[in-house]
Amino acid sequence: SSLDVPFPSSREANIALRSLSPDREPRKGGISKELTVSGSTRWSADEARILRVSVDSFLDHLLLVLETMEMFGSPVSQ
Amino acid sequence: MEINQPAKLNFFYILLDFINKCKSAMTIVIGFEGSANKIGVGIIRNGEVLSNPRRTYITPPGQGFMPSDTARHHRAVILSILKEALEQAGLKPADIDCVAYTKGPGMGAPLVTVAIVARTVAQLWGKPLLGVNHCIGHIEMGRLITKANNPTVLYVSGGNTQVIAYSERRYRIFGETIDIAVGNCLDRFARVIKISNDPSPGYNIEQMAKKGSHYVELPYTVKGMDVSFSGILSYLEDAADKLLSSGQCTAEDLCFSLQETVFSMLVEITERAMAHCGSQEVLIVGGVGCNLRLQEMMGVMCKERGAKLFATDERFCIDNGAMIAQAGWEMFRSGQVTALEDSWITQRYRTDEVEVTWRD
Repeated sequence: SSLDVPFPSSREANIALRSLSPDREPRKGGISKELTVSGSTRWSADEARILRVSVDSFLDHLLLVLETMEMFGSPVSQ
Repeated sequence: MEINQPAKLNFFYILLDFINKCKSAMTIVIGFEGSANKIGVGIIRNGEVLSNPRRTYITPPGQGFMPSDTARHHRAVILSILKEALEQAGLKPADIDCVAYTKGPGMGAPLVTVAIVARTVAQLWGKPLLGVNHCIGHIEMGRLITKANNPTVLYVSGGNTQVIAYSERRYRIFGETIDIAVGNCLDRFARVIKISNDPSPGYNIEQMAKKGSHYVELPYTVKGMDVSFSGILSYLEDAADKLLSSGQCTAEDLCFSLQETVFSMLVEITERAMAHCGSQEVLIVGGVGCNLRLQEMMGVMCKERGAKLFATDERFCIDNGAMIAQAGWEMFRSGQVTALEDSWITQRYRTDEVEVTWRD
């Protein structure tokens, strides 16, 4: 299954993607995560427990990105 | 001599133009630090610290700080600290030239939390990003504040213990701990005898040590250029309760004895590196560097060798955002930048992995 996250614009979705994708999953084996710019994320995991932790922390980080965007304004147009 | 009106106006415009030219040579870097239990955001403009707010996650006596709790603490305050940093510096995001953050080493979850905010604001404000090595942040801040020329650096904190010297574009590690950091040894000893972690366990050990008088023999472990602290820690974890309850010594005596022993070890390996490099300067950086007894002991060794000792105060030796901004400033001005895809954090990051492009 996948998780869909709506964004005001594709620019904001892109910012979120690029802020959340660089770090590798802490656990070496057993979990992999795929993020795409359409605002949806796909996980695959060997164990439900690992999946829960990974989804938990992803959502938490996503919330942090959204709060940061809210506080520090709309993206500068290049 | 009376200057006529048109000349005065010309002079005013020339002055304004000059000021604007100076400003354009100014580079302003914002730095984010949160690899351990301190979270700080600092702003530097050409060697001037414009702001440096910081918060510390303090656990109850007897407890250390865990990665997820620490990350949660940082997450709760980072945006308000960022706001504070900008306000105290009197700057808008548009004034910033570069966003620096701690790439590593340190604790994973807190590092990620801070990196996420740094990446997000870098993109929102359209500014280049720079991943900084935490150890190099300490070194560059120490060099900036003390103006030490080319010192042997003793980097001592809760997470790191290294003796470093600069050579040919690298900060080379001459000696280090083979197990735990000296600050980690002190912090975990504080937990054994339930010393308060406010403002930091090391500070409280230092205060108690001043009241200690009886020296208790503890294991002293120097191995060539390196040191080891896990032995002295496990010895104390075993023996402290017995020593205290039997009345052989007080908690203050143990604090005093521990400091004397571990600091002597650090002075020994620093001196060894100095002899190796022919160095006449010592710079102490990192949280344990605030300790005045360590500075005193190092000072005695330096005096004997005719060398100079440099150290900073708690604003800069304890982890802070400005030190990351300063290292970032040096890196950015020498042409370095971190692409977003490469901005992943890492818990292990050797000091000598970084190419020091800003020094000859």
